[in-house]
Amino acid sequence: MKKTVDAIGDVCPIPVVKTKKVIEELKAQGGTVETFVDNEIAVQNLTKLGKSSGYTVLSEKLEEKKFRVEIQVTAGEGANAQEQEISCIPDGRRWNTVVVISSECMGEGDPELGTALMKSYIYALSQQDQLPSTILFYNGGVKLACEDAPTLEDLKSLEAQGVEILACGTCLNFYGLSEKLQVGTVTNMYVIAEKMGQASLIIKP
Amino acid sequence: MIRKKFPCAVLTFSTTTAAMSMEKKCGEHKIPGRLIPVPREITAGCGLAWKMTAEDYEAYKREIENLNLKVEQIVFMEL
Repeated sequence: MKKTVDAIGDVCPIPVVKTKKVIEELKAQGGTVETFVDNEIAVQNLTKLGKSSGYTVLSEKLEEKKFRVEIQVTAGEGANAQEQEISCIPDGRRWNTVVVISSECMGEGDPELGTALMKSYIYALSQQDQLPSTILFYNGGVKLACEDAPTLEDLKSLEAQGVEILACGTCLNFYGLSEKLQVGTVTNMYVIAEKMGQASLIIKP
Repeated sequence: MIRKKFPCAVLTFSTTTAAMSMEKKCGEHKIPGRLIPVPREITAGCGLAWKMTAEDYEAYKREIENLNLKVEQIVFMEL
């Protein structure tokens, strides 16, 4: 069963309260609740709500001030049925933390292993409570933000939680992927240099 | 300290690979200049461009034409 919650225009904790109510209804048979909200903090709060019960949470930015969060409620009491407090967590983005993805591979050595590692790194990143403010993609890294990449779902969820995703346009053009970028926006070297220069922490997996 | 700016010619290309072959061919033909990211003043977009002093551009104009590379636009600006 799929239920939809419209929480556009609602301030915290209303989107969480509304969604939690629907989750309670769905718990018996299981199902999906889809909540629409208008800000990244609400996406973060809903993600936290779903994750705390062990449910799968997907989210994406649909347009400016419109986000969709899908919580897949499994039948039964949930993996962790402890009563969660409804709270408004502060913005989980760490300002000035920039993650730089410069290749499809994580580390050097076997490329197949490297690709698998990078895929799991991006997944793990999307599961953190503290998120980076920006993720920069350049050279082979841009492929991870393009059509058919296995990392798209996680990146969309990061974007919906307010993480800025920027892909090097020169690189997209070089790899013939200019029309294939599926998440984030195209950027240039001046912005890349600026973001790195202003960062207080740069993470390069 | 503010960097001093000079009049330059900036040649842009429609693809990254074209800009890269410009660098290669200019090296082979000893044409001065360097590859830079396209300045923000030219486009909000991205890409690589060939930068040379306006003076050098005038001097090597013919040779650049003979390279047969598709130059998208030539912009004169202070860089």
